[in-house]
Amino acid sequence: MKVEFNKRLLVVWLILASLTLAYVWIDHSVDGSPRPSVVITSSVIVIALVKVRIIFREFMEVRQAPALLCRLTDAWVVLIGVSLFTCYIVGLMGK
Amino acid sequence: MTDVAETNKRARFVPGQPDMWAFVLFETLVFTAYFGFYLFYRARSPELFLHSQAQLDLRVGVFNTLVLLLSSWSVARCVQSSRAGAYRAALRDVYITAACAAVFLSSKMFEWARLVRLGDGVDSNDFSTYYFFLTGIHFVHLLIGFVVLGIVVYQLRSPERRSQELVETCATYWHTVDFLWVLIFALLYVVR
Repeated sequence: MKVEFNKRLLVVWLILASLTLAYVWIDHSVDGSPRPSVVITSSVIVIALVKVRIIFREFMEVRQAPALLCRLTDAWVVLIGVSLFTCYIVGLMGK
Repeated sequence: MTDVAETNKRARFVPGQPDMWAFVLFETLVFTAYFGFYLFYRARSPELFLHSQAQLDLRVGVFNTLVLLLSSWSVARCVQSSRAGAYRAALRDVYITAACAAVFLSSKMFEWARLVRLGDGVDSNDFSTYYFFLTGIHFVHLLIGFVVLGIVVYQLRSPERRSQELVETCATYWHTVDFLWVLIFALLYVVR
């Protein structure tokens, strides 16, 4: 049996790959002065969380799952983000 | 409620076994704790972490991430093929996934060897400890992933054994390994 090529999954992969390549651009933009940067760290974490949510929704098929699982995985992404930023900010304050 | 809404409600399903989702959420919490400690200590001594991070090659990290994303795409295709009854295509997708995973593992081992040759061991400094710990524990998850892919192959090869739920469960595990790497890559290679 032949199965039709799923263009949506290809588009999802291309978006994830583009977000990954965005890191190269971020890295190049600061190469001259590799200093600590709250803006870059925050942007990188947010991009990573967006990628995780896309993987949940599209590759893991949460998009088609019951609302409870959709909300639970979204809550988890937010929980990861809040935890990471909290630890980072607390670390910055204790420097 | 309209007919369309009712049909949509009926069509919604949990991919794989709910137990696997409990494991995914638990495992994510455990890794979030590791990441939290890493970011805390990184924020306290940014120069040390930046200096050690400079030993990493971002291009290798990007390559590894793209390869794992390819493997995730392949597993997602496997699930859809298997659901449609196209088991030969599903098997091909599992083999592609395993090949991507093998490329990732080889690349990771080369990177470890290169860092050790440069004098960066597990206990060289805080960054190295976190680097080897996080990539090492992810490596173990990926090795378990090979067993999981083996289960999918075992399931798909025989008509008597085929279980769509088990294929979806295994795929869910594989995607978890992928998104954990997405976070590890961002935190170890790119943050400043």
